[in-house]
Amino acid sequence: MRTIKSLPKSARTKAPVLAIYSAEHRRLMGIFHPSRHEEYEELLSSLGAFMEKEILPLSPKIDAGEAKIEGPRKALFEQGMCQIPFPQEYGGLGLPFTVYSNAVELLGTADASIALSVEIHNAVAEGLNRFASEEQKRKYLPSLLTGKALASFTLTEPASGSDAGTMATTAVRKGGEYSINGSKMFITNAGDAELYMVFAKTPVGPSCFLVRAGTPGLSFGGDLKKMGMKGSRTSEVVFSDCRVPEENLVGEEGKGADYAKEVLHGARIIVAALNVGIAQIAYDKSLAYARSRRAFGKPISEFQLTREKIADMKTGISAGRLLYFYASSVKESGVDFSSEASQAKVFATEMSLKVCDAAIQIYGGYGYTSDELHRHWRDARLLTIGEGTSEVLRLLIARREMARSQ
Amino acid sequence: MSIKVWAFSEVPEVANEVASAADALSKAAGGTYTVIGVNGSGPRLAGEAKLVLKGSDALSGSPELTAEALSRAAKEANPDLILVGSTRNGKEIAARLAVKLGRSCASDLFGLAVSDGALRGKRNAFAGKLIGEVSTPLPCVATVKVGAYPTLAPSAAAATMKEVGDLPSKSHLVERREKPRGTVDLKGAKLIVSAGRGVKKKEDLALVSELAAELGGAVGCSRPLSSDMGWLPEEHHIGLTGVSVHPDLYLAVGISGQLQHVAGIKDSKIIAAVNNDKSAPIFEASDYGVVGDLYAVLPAMMKEVRSRRH
Amino acid sequence: MKIAVCVKHAVDENELKVDPAGNPQFAGAASKMSTFDKNAVEEALRLKSAHSGDVTVLTVGTADAKKTMKEALAMGADKGVLVTADPMSINTGRTAELLAAAVRKAGPFDVVLCSEGSSDIYSGLVPPMVGEMLGLPYVGYAKKIEVAGQSAKVERSLEDSVEVVEAPLPLVVSVVSEINEPRYPTLIQIMQAGKKPMEEIAPDALLPESKPPSPLFVGMKAQAMARKKVVFEGPPEETAKKLVDALGSEGVLPR
Repeated sequence: MRTIKSLPKSARTKAPVLAIYSAEHRRLMGIFHPSRHEEYEELLSSLGAFMEKEILPLSPKIDAGEAKIEGPRKALFEQGMCQIPFPQEYGGLGLPFTVYSNAVELLGTADASIALSVEIHNAVAEGLNRFASEEQKRKYLPSLLTGKALASFTLTEPASGSDAGTMATTAVRKGGEYSINGSKMFITNAGDAELYMVFAKTPVGPSCFLVRAGTPGLSFGGDLKKMGMKGSRTSEVVFSDCRVPEENLVGEEGKGADYAKEVLHGARIIVAALNVGIAQIAYDKSLAYARSRRAFGKPISEFQLTREKIADMKTGISAGRLLYFYASSVKESGVDFSSEASQAKVFATEMSLKVCDAAIQIYGGYGYTSDELHRHWRDARLLTIGEGTSEVLRLLIARREMARSQ
Repeated sequence: MSIKVWAFSEVPEVANEVASAADALSKAAGGTYTVIGVNGSGPRLAGEAKLVLKGSDALSGSPELTAEALSRAAKEANPDLILVGSTRNGKEIAARLAVKLGRSCASDLFGLAVSDGALRGKRNAFAGKLIGEVSTPLPCVATVKVGAYPTLAPSAAAATMKEVGDLPSKSHLVERREKPRGTVDLKGAKLIVSAGRGVKKKEDLALVSELAAELGGAVGCSRPLSSDMGWLPEEHHIGLTGVSVHPDLYLAVGISGQLQHVAGIKDSKIIAAVNNDKSAPIFEASDYGVVGDLYAVLPAMMKEVRSRRH
Repeated sequence: MKIAVCVKHAVDENELKVDPAGNPQFAGAASKMSTFDKNAVEEALRLKSAHSGDVTVLTVGTADAKKTMKEALAMGADKGVLVTADPMSINTGRTAELLAAAVRKAGPFDVVLCSEGSSDIYSGLVPPMVGEMLGLPYVGYAKKIEVAGQSAKVERSLEDSVEVVEAPLPLVVSVVSEINEPRYPTLIQIMQAGKKPMEEIAPDALLPESKPPSPLFVGMKAQAMARKKVVFEGPPEETAKKLVDALGSEGVLPR
């Protein structure tokens, strides 16, 4: 091509044509699940194609507040997104956790706020699957897995996050019911969900309850204004003598903190995958931009300092992906995976911020002024905080190491 | 070897293109050609030898009946090669004819020649990415790519009439609605301005249609605009499964240049493109391209075109 | 209602690479269900819902074609029939007669659906050939199909007109891609597709060849797109002028 004159490329940051589910994903699946990888690849490829066509194009509108996530989220549920790791007897697909975490990475690429909403929903499903009674599972799990009912994991409070033991929301037994009082904060899917998994303090310690939408005494604050993850509804949840029948207690009284911890370990792997997905799309856009943007007579991809960024972004993404695959694999083996999950989350969330920041730098002025590009950093920024801050998780990793070297 | 060629299309103008293909072939290979028509089409056909198959009114509109009529006539006259214009109905007629006569069939051919008892030709393959060399043994049936050959003028030669009598039919036509033609005669248009997904809103198509009007051209589009978004009727869709065009100038505005679209514009004399994505495949398929925002470039082009007038 | 849908497993034209000499690299090329076949499968599934029945998907293909069969089964087809021949090595007529024979064997069917053309070759000849070989009514380029009782009303899309044609069942219909939006198979449907019956038949067992095989194509090469590929970049006023000037000198602008 003979070019006549060069000029800054238009600020419209068009995502390059690529398959979300890539050869690298396939290679990893082949390594981690050698005997059945072709089957898993077929499923992920189909899901990826769906996300690319039906979700990715909506993503800029979702960030801009011009489109809601309900429709695409529902379609995604119908595809079977939430069924992947759960037992078939409740409507799940009984597939390995690695398939699910890979699927969340793809969704993180397609739209991070839908990925967050779905991830929180599935955390409740995981909690039910692990700790609920048979009767509760039969009652609630199937509709969660088909997505007919949306769920919300209701743990964090205005004054208690990492230190869940200091929660102030209480659940007092009154006859055949519990009365829940208090408020929760930064709750994803609040107000939209049909089912809330609520952690409230009983005399013997935090306990876990199921509260349905529409229960008297349950109300919500307005949608909180966040810097990113704009499509996902986040707000305060208020309990004011909110009565739930005693059969809505999950497991045993006082075990709520343990249940929450267990669920969160798995969720951390998922968050790691989600952020790898965010990093991937920010990286893909950067590579395409670097190839087309010209300065000093050549594409900026020719400059060494740009290449350094590209190399570091790529390496970070590869490492993050491997870490969440590895953590998923440890979870599948049945042993304690809390350290691996924490490592994956700490690494991948911090890596994704670096990648998204480098993307902005590569785009230069257009990066700073283009919502469609800087939204990736804004989306990613939540997750060094949510679901276990990097600080707390580092302490967890170190504690495990201290225990091991005895 | 002397070959006997038949040239047919249910559309007389297309029949006259096929006639020129038949003319070229029979001159090169040595032989004769007859242009075949149906019902009253005789005066509109080219060529010195014409054969018109006369039947009921239904015959003209039915590829099923037309194929049967042609088959009966062909069994008597035994042409070595039957060329049919490659319209949608034409392909059906050719396919049916091939089965009825026990011959092989190839479609959408150009660059025809006869050698070693076979019909040779070229056709597009893989949405125009490749050109295939085709060989099919004579006697055979083949459809000729519309627009690949020049149109011969109708001739004054009188046609031999042949009554076809009653033909059995399995399906029947209940209704035919002409598609609104208006200014959309893309197949014959000499200048086309075409819109793609780079156009953000239906209302913005005005930019494209105004430029087309200013240049005296027709408006086309890529598939998403007609099929997915319904911003323009199907007739405007240019591409592999849409209309194939061959204007002197094809201006693609906000069109990325996917294979399936480019397949429909290959025969344009000059292809130009406006797209804000430098890596868009359309630039590989164009003579002239502007990398830029169509919302700025098109108005600037309008101004430029207008000022050239004065 | 018993519905048949004929599909083709084809090399993906978007992914097909050519070497520097322009020769296509078919070996190991990505392949897929021919693009418009998805619309035919979708239409078959819609007829199945509207009239209750089952859908059989048929193809002439190599072992690779099982992937496409499975995709159709995952979308909702009930069983598959694979005639094991490579459509690129045999010609159109042979493909059509094998499909017709397979339809006869797996049938009888009320409706046989095909797409308007395969994404690789797009000949558009196979569906009318199959109709003619089966001695059934054939209606091509359908954009709408309605079945009532033993009769079908088909709206077909031609270049310059839309026709409404009526024909009795059973019939063969080819559909245009505008007819519908194909559904995505869900994960569970994909997982269960492998359990649905898929029959493989050798071509000579189905219908011995009456003529020696004569593939249609004797060669294929990349199209030489000898375009000038001149690209203008810069402020819109400048590039617009450059473009209009260039087109003017080419003589393609009205005077």
